[in-house]
Amino acid sequence: MKKSFKYISLLFLVSLLGCTDIIDLNSESNIVQENYFTNYSELQEGLTACYNGLQKPLTYEWILTELRSDNTIMDGGTSTSVVNNDLGFIDQFYPPTIHEGIKNYWLLTYNNIRNANVVLTAVGASYTAPTTVGGNDGNIDIATDLPNATLDQRKKIAAEASFIRAYHYFNLIRLFGTEAIPKGGVFLLDKVITPEAAKQLNRSSVAEIYDLIIADLKNAVLNGSTDPYSVKTPDQLGHANSWAARALLGKVYLTLGDKTLATATLLPVIANTSGYALETSSYANVFAVNNEMNKEILFAIRFKGGGVGMGNPLPNLFAPTNSGSFVIKGDGKGYNTPTTELAINLKTNPTTFSYTDPSAARALVNYNSYSTSDVYVNKFMSRPFLANDAENDFPVLRYSDVLLMLAEAGGSNATSLGYINSVRSRAGLAALKIADISAVTTKTFTISSGTTTMVVEYPLFEKVLSDERRYEFAFENQRWFDLLRFKKTFTTLNAESVMKFHFVSQYDAIYKGFTVLPVTLDELLGNVTNNNNARFVLPIPQYEIDTNTQVQIEQNPSY
Amino acid sequence: MKKPFLILLLILTSVIYSQTDKLKVSGVVFDSKGETIPGVNVSSEDQSIQTDIEGKYSINVKSSKSILKFTSIGFDAQIVVVGKNKVINITLAESKNVLDEVVVIGYGTQKRSNVTGSVSKYKNEKMDEIAVSRLDQALQGKIAGVQVQNVSSEAGADAVISIRGISSVNAGASPLVVVDGQPNPDGLASINMADVASVEVLKDAASAAIYGSRGASGVILITTKSGKTDKVKYAFKYSSGFKTAYNRYPLLNTSQYTQLLYNERDIRATDPYFINPDPITQIIPVNNILYLGSNTKVKSIQAAYIVEQTLLGGKGYNYQDEVLQTAGFKNIQLSASGGNKNMRYFVSSGYQGDEGVMLKSNYEKFNFRSKIDIDLSKKVKLSFNLNPSYTAKESPSENFTNFWRYASWLPAVHTAATINFIKNNLTPNSFSPLVKVGDYAHPRHFIGLTYSSFMPDGSQFFMPDGLSFGTNGVAVATPNNSAQNNPMAALLSHDINAKAYGLQSGASFSVNLLPGLDFKTMGSLYMKYDTKLDWSNRDADGDGLENKGVYYNNSYIDLLSENTLNYKKEFENQSLDVVIGYTAQKTKGAKTQTTGLSYASDDIRTLNSAVFIDKLGTFGSQNQVGLLSYLGRVNYGFKGRYLLSASFRSDGSSYFGPGNKWGSFPAASLGWVANKESFLNKVGWLNKLAFRGSYGVSGNNRILDYGFSNLLSPANYSFGSETGTQTPGLATTSTIIANPDITWESTYQTNVGLDLSLFNNRFNITADVYQSITDKLLLQQATMAFTGVPLAWNNIGSLDNKGYEFELSTTNFKSKNFKWATSLNIAHTENKIRELGNEKYLRNQGERTELYQNKVGDPLVQFFGYKTDGVWLSQIQIDEAKANGLTSTLPSLFKPGGLKLVDVNGHHIDSVTGAFVLDEGKPDNIIDIYDRTVIGNPYPDFTWGVTNTFNIKSLDFSFSWQGVQGGQLINGDPNYADVRSRNTNYNTNRWLSPEHIGDGKTPYEDIGFNWLLTDYVVESASYFALREVNIGYTLSSDFCKKIGLSSLRLYSSANNLYIHSAAGYRGINSEGRSNSGPYSSALVAGYQRGSFPASKTIVLGIDINF
Repeated sequence: MKKSFKYISLLFLVSLLGCTDIIDLNSESNIVQENYFTNYSELQEGLTACYNGLQKPLTYEWILTELRSDNTIMDGGTSTSVVNNDLGFIDQFYPPTIHEGIKNYWLLTYNNIRNANVVLTAVGASYTAPTTVGGNDGNIDIATDLPNATLDQRKKIAAEASFIRAYHYFNLIRLFGTEAIPKGGVFLLDKVITPEAAKQLNRSSVAEIYDLIIADLKNAVLNGSTDPYSVKTPDQLGHANSWAARALLGKVYLTLGDKTLATATLLPVIANTSGYALETSSYANVFAVNNEMNKEILFAIRFKGGGVGMGNPLPNLFAPTNSGSFVIKGDGKGYNTPTTELAINLKTNPTTFSYTDPSAARALVNYNSYSTSDVYVNKFMSRPFLANDAENDFPVLRYSDVLLMLAEAGGSNATSLGYINSVRSRAGLAALKIADISAVTTKTFTISSGTTTMVVEYPLFEKVLSDERRYEFAFENQRWFDLLRFKKTFTTLNAESVMKFHFVSQYDAIYKGFTVLPVTLDELLGNVTNNNNARFVLPIPQYEIDTNTQVQIEQNPSY
Repeated sequence: MKKPFLILLLILTSVIYSQTDKLKVSGVVFDSKGETIPGVNVSSEDQSIQTDIEGKYSINVKSSKSILKFTSIGFDAQIVVVGKNKVINITLAESKNVLDEVVVIGYGTQKRSNVTGSVSKYKNEKMDEIAVSRLDQALQGKIAGVQVQNVSSEAGADAVISIRGISSVNAGASPLVVVDGQPNPDGLASINMADVASVEVLKDAASAAIYGSRGASGVILITTKSGKTDKVKYAFKYSSGFKTAYNRYPLLNTSQYTQLLYNERDIRATDPYFINPDPITQIIPVNNILYLGSNTKVKSIQAAYIVEQTLLGGKGYNYQDEVLQTAGFKNIQLSASGGNKNMRYFVSSGYQGDEGVMLKSNYEKFNFRSKIDIDLSKKVKLSFNLNPSYTAKESPSENFTNFWRYASWLPAVHTAATINFIKNNLTPNSFSPLVKVGDYAHPRHFIGLTYSSFMPDGSQFFMPDGLSFGTNGVAVATPNNSAQNNPMAALLSHDINAKAYGLQSGASFSVNLLPGLDFKTMGSLYMKYDTKLDWSNRDADGDGLENKGVYYNNSYIDLLSENTLNYKKEFENQSLDVVIGYTAQKTKGAKTQTTGLSYASDDIRTLNSAVFIDKLGTFGSQNQVGLLSYLGRVNYGFKGRYLLSASFRSDGSSYFGPGNKWGSFPAASLGWVANKESFLNKVGWLNKLAFRGSYGVSGNNRILDYGFSNLLSPANYSFGSETGTQTPGLATTSTIIANPDITWESTYQTNVGLDLSLFNNRFNITADVYQSITDKLLLQQATMAFTGVPLAWNNIGSLDNKGYEFELSTTNFKSKNFKWATSLNIAHTENKIRELGNEKYLRNQGERTELYQNKVGDPLVQFFGYKTDGVWLSQIQIDEAKANGLTSTLPSLFKPGGLKLVDVNGHHIDSVTGAFVLDEGKPDNIIDIYDRTVIGNPYPDFTWGVTNTFNIKSLDFSFSWQGVQGGQLINGDPNYADVRSRNTNYNTNRWLSPEHIGDGKTPYEDIGFNWLLTDYVVESASYFALREVNIGYTLSSDFCKKIGLSSLRLYSSANNLYIHSAAGYRGINSEGRSNSGPYSSALVAGYQRGSFPASKTIVLGIDINF
């Protein structure tokens, strides 16, 4: 009897174990998003993540910009590795719609748009599209009463998140947007949406995307910090401010062909109040790792080396393959190889190509050679201790860019020449005279490959400005976007003429040797001319079209 | 609630003591070998008792006319009249009726004849003699409906087990493994085969539903050996042997390949299609394809040829031979078991050493098991077990693919000849001053050197590209442009060693509260601690790289309390068995990973000597998971003919959010033992005819932790001047979007079965037909990438599996000196997607963007790509097709010798609605992305296994065949140019020119691929294999007694003596599959690339008992 009682007590004890808190659990290692962003410092952490999110798309951006321009080529023509294969397709304007690099760039960019949308929603910022597409009344409204931070604090965060969102959309629309079809823009998300809602969303028009970009950048100009560079506290450096937003908005207007608005937006940046100026000490000092965020850098995507998980992987990607540790620890991949016409080793023979940058100071920073055949991008090469862990920031908007944009907006005149000359002077070059850019002066180029001979004639102003930008911003992922934009800001020099010239000049040396996708010169030229340059626009990743079984997403023409 | 129950128990308990004495009979029950049998049911009139540990019983009967009935499972019942004897010793004959063996089921046991669900039992007779190191591998082909696939044949690798097809797509779909009542989170990995007494597999939902949340993919119950009341018995088993790779890829070395190219050039030269060969290169450019390869490529292969011919004596390295070895296999087992009146014990220790056939691949396992059962009193029993284990696994850092794809001209280590060539070259490179004999040789050491020699046709090395044209057959070239180290160097410069320390332990008390009523409480603790060091020497992966150590530490603790109340009662015509229970389980895991860099020496590998820690490779996390359950089951039998079983389980899981935590899993089954009916019980040759039917629900919750809420992860950034200061940031998910409504996935399964035994049980058939429908699939659904996250958790869709299983065991011949028995099993399963919420289909990508379509109404996975119709035979054929209007938006489609894709579908824009319309089956003369169609699926038609066993006097011999019939796989190998060029499976009979089209199906190496998935790479996955052969000799018992042993057996066992792959399969192991990364989802299945050869193993063994 006594024994039984003992056992039964035991039974009773055991039954007490049944507490439901065994199954009411939350993550111990991660914060639940729904319960966060309740105060200013938490909101700032969300914003910091948006800056972090800028890094990853950048590791793919050169594939879609520099490689497609006349600046660089895929040099591993005989390689059949997956990556070289993919790079070759892009370089030859023949990407399959399942291209991995395109999909990754798309996904990583949209992931950071998601980060920005999370923050914008948390600070109560909402986007109102203009009443008519292309109207100027699009706006970002900030809710006046939210408990997590003061209105001023929330406005400041919204300004920066708006800038980042606009930066991403501006890149996306230039890479994927086409006016050849009515809904030829990308997918417009101004807030986080559910997976179900996403399947009901189709592409917007190009103009609708620009409406959002402009509204976001106006918000960033209005609410962003207008502190001049000189009084910035160190912790502000790296944040997008009103000046950076102006520079980007100026570029948006210029891309849309509105030179007047571009000039008006950009001029305050070069007024004394901004505190920004050219880093006149030397071109090299603009990119020096011990001089990051100098007064020329309006905005940069920042990296930090030293094993903290924030290093820049580009130097290892760009260092020549098979160079062991002679160029960088852990060898290079040999991607993004400068074209021979741009490369330093041809500088000694300037009669071949007048394209070569005459500024030795600039050329030394931009490229270097390991052996006679291995020229590589040297711009971000801080020789890190670890592979893929360089310190170098990646400049997005520089003061010299603003100067040259103003020249582009102004056209061939003395003021523009002044802007160009201040950039040239920092590069150690003699000032040009007004006669050198005179509107009527043209320059003729002839190049042959086999039976194909090309003759191109450019007005001298366009040629000078195009070259100046090309050398000044070499490998900063500007060239492709410049070439596209010139169609609106220039008369003759544009992406089509430049790329045709590029293919003819490089065919025998490079493209003919490709084994993965052997193409004829005619095919290459066709890829950049056919169907009104349709292949200048990248395909929407096939993944999107395959995943959506409810809305048919229209692919860009010619894919 | 609790109190009245307690009082009720007290009242019931006191009844036990109110019995009165009458005539007392006692005795001992023996088996035919003279050993006592405990637990025999002894009944007379209204009472029933059981024999004790020593087989003794004592019972009060009414009179000398009373009848005593002795029954025990596994023995024929015996009836005696008491008479005058006060001591009655009985010998029970072992039942010939195998149908009445005991079968372990969830939370209990059942007689085979009473089982109404679908339960397969596999007894460990010679299973531990199979020359494999893991139990899952040993079970391959043994049980109908249990498919075991050795997707990787590296030492100690996990096999993929599925029971009755695929019931879940993204939630864990491996079966639950329960060892002696304790769930084993480690699956079958840590179980020592020698300790296993039997394996039971609960296949239908009615049997598995008692395990509720974890039963959806079936349950494997392992029963380990126990001690018996006897003097101590020792068993010693030792086996040792060796393993070799079953086969290798057929490869050409660089010299042979160059020779092939030159031969092919000569063949083409006779082709009138070519008019004007290039006078310098003799390479004929047609449509810009240079048939010897393109310029630089020719230069590379020629330079490589020169190295192989002049520096390596014409003999290339076959890196397969370099990395494969004859490996050892060793298995040592020692156990002691026995017991006395109040306790039984079984203690074992085992060691298995399993070397891989690939260098640096080793697996060692130490197991200890102690199982002790103690009768604390007549009514209280204690059972206790403790099973520590230790496994050590060394893994190769390099995939086998890296070896067989590697260039043969490059030596692994520099020889005097190669060093001389590099150092004294006309155009030395940066490495020339640095390399020395004995260093690892890397491709970069050979770049830009001057090469000079003769080609296979006697011509001198020349430069076809006109750029760096050498004179007199001397030219600068780069034989291989790769930054990668040679794979042998990489393999030997890395050490990956994992160690796992495991402890499974448990204790249970069972209390007999009333006759037939037992309360059992069990507590179990499972602990595992894994450590791994992934070490890279300095320069292991590239010049100038620091040495690196990545330390992984994972701890895992699983606490489980199970409490059951069991009531068993046999009435005159009825039997009742009721279980109710409550269980609670808590699992805690913690993981850390630390990456140290730059150590003073490659030999000191502890973290203290690392110069710094790399944040990118340093993480820590912990999590916990909880499960609460209530369960109950009633088994009822009437006259042993009509059987009913019903069970219920309710589970609450922490995997789901508030409001969605609980799931209910009911099940019921019915059985009719027809042979016991009066109209059949006189049919002499019919031993059993039973029909079973069941329906039940089981669940699945095994998704990622916290799938119901989005989590923020660190995303820091550097602000401030110069190099900046790190600032903390938190980012939203980038991998999978949470779903707050996510809840249980449930599988509803119907099973109908038949058991038939004929001719004195010499012929036994079990057949089952089933259908299972999984609803509310836990689905990692592809989301629109523009949401910023490629996947989201969803709970939609429904999947249908149906199939049949057939198990046959026969005794074909039986005489005193010779016996031949066969067991055979066949299973067929097919699956179909019933619905996917609002989706018509899902498409998921594999590693090479090949697509897997999951479409409603079709099998779960179908390969989705292009159909081909051989290769384009000539430019003329292409021009004709183009003249007929054929166009394409795909790059590189129209190339002679390239794959010819088929225009399958068309598409148009609806003129009224403006909507896109796909015209399936209506070609539109445009080959584009819309022409992708279904080109195969990975599911076999049936799987089978057959074992024949022969006993000739003391000699026994058995062999097991196992096979898979039907189904396809995607062979990823031909996507690689080096494979297509050098592997004779791909370059034989290839297209060479319009006049020499080969078989018209094999494309010329470089052309027409571009990673598009085509049916050219879809191959049959069927195979069959002679898995095991076992031959043994058991010495006579007389002889054994003389030398003081109770038995002695010598045996030899062989594994994978013969494997037959289907025609058209071009790889080397039909079973190999990728199963990590995208392939860890069941929605992406059937891909194989660079698989590892199967191992052929032969061992000799001895088995001693004393």
